[in-house]
Amino acid sequence: MGKLKILIVEDDPVTRSLLEKKLKKAAYEVATAKNGEEAVGLVSGSFFDVVLTDLMMPGDVDGVGVLEHVKERNVKTEVILITAYASIENAVEAMKKGASDYLTKPINFDELMLRLDRINTMKSLAKESLDLREAMDVTEKNAGQTIQDLEMVIHRLQHGLSDIKRVLNEGSIETHERIERALGILDRLII
Amino acid sequence: MIKITTDEIKIMSQYIHKMSGIALDDQKAYLLEARLNGLAEEQGCASYMELYQKAKTDDSKSLERKILDAVTTNETLFFRDKSPFELVRHKILPELIDRRSAKSSGSMPLSVRIWSAACSTGQEVYSIAIVLKELLPDLKKYNIKLLGTDISDEAVAQASYGQYNKFAIERGLDEGSLRKYFSQVGGNWKIRDDIRAMVLFKKFNLMLPFTGLGKYDIVFCRNVAIYFNLEDKKKLFDKIANILEPDGYLIIGSTEALTGICPRFVPQRHLRSIFYQLK
Repeated sequence: MGKLKILIVEDDPVTRSLLEKKLKKAAYEVATAKNGEEAVGLVSGSFFDVVLTDLMMPGDVDGVGVLEHVKERNVKTEVILITAYASIENAVEAMKKGASDYLTKPINFDELMLRLDRINTMKSLAKESLDLREAMDVTEKNAGQTIQDLEMVIHRLQHGLSDIKRVLNEGSIETHERIERALGILDRLII
Repeated sequence: MIKITTDEIKIMSQYIHKMSGIALDDQKAYLLEARLNGLAEEQGCASYMELYQKAKTDDSKSLERKILDAVTTNETLFFRDKSPFELVRHKILPELIDRRSAKSSGSMPLSVRIWSAACSTGQEVYSIAIVLKELLPDLKKYNIKLLGTDISDEAVAQASYGQYNKFAIERGLDEGSLRKYFSQVGGNWKIRDDIRAMVLFKKFNLMLPFTGLGKYDIVFCRNVAIYFNLEDKKKLFDKIANILEPDGYLIIGSTEALTGICPRFVPQRHLRSIFYQLK
């Protein structure tokens, strides 16, 4: 599992560059946007594993707007909201719209790293289960095809065998004629 | 972890078989331990024998249900293995409706009755409902009966609620269908009301007689008989043959076969899939 690709959306330049520095130091792949509009543009162009966005931002697109756009674009992107302590209720509302977590300001970086680790673990587990299911699907598909082919073959053979039985039991025909006909059926049966 | 003894494996397996038809051989003992351990601890039982005794003497049957919920396998996906749904969409339904319209007087709505015999958490039935909705835009003209049953109360409740987490939903379902037929509730997805309303869910034990179940045009019985022993498999498919319309269709799991199990069914091939009809 590669490192997560993270988009930071934060209007405050100090917080933004601090976040960028910390996350880059932790070897995450990082992009930044200084407002919601810019974030929307970036998300439309490429996939991010995580979008870390401030909830309150000036301009037309706030944190909830970013969240909605991100989820619209790809449900697999996780969104973490950054919120002032006073607006936790808004963050909870946003979680109902699909945000995976929120952090309160001032940002505790240990906490942020733990959340990202957790997302990383979840994504690895999800990928692993997806891989396993994929492997199971391929196996199941192959086994299924073989079993179904056999089912059809057996059905055809059973049909043929009962035809042979019927012919051999036919009292009104000479024995050699019966055998001849039975052999004819057998010939068609064995490919 | 409470260890399970050989005697307990025997007793529990028999008990579970009697309740559900699920046949667990000795090699599946680890499964019993893994699946019942939590329940035993929750119930304050020191052994699986104690859990068994407690379940047997519980008149409300609630512990029995919990045991069943714990041992049943709920592996199901939306459009899991697309071929049966493609079969219904392109072959079975058009054929069935053609045949029925030719016979009908015109005044009565055509009835289509479909039963998903082990619906688990509902993905299969909802996938069928989506196919019906897409194939028959004028649904009101038909008398649709779509029944999903399962032995597990928990599975039936979840199916009926129709809400799925993103892991359950991401596979099998393309993004277009997801947005069209589900609405987002937090991190989960809930089936839309119009699809939900097409389906009736109830608890049903396939080991019991099928009296009062009615007749069906299409029966889905996929990947459930695999948990049954041969005798129970034979009984199950014989009962299905009894409730299927003479021109009805049976769809079983892609790795299942009926050879040596039910001579009343004839396999038919359509493209890469097989379905069964009565002789």
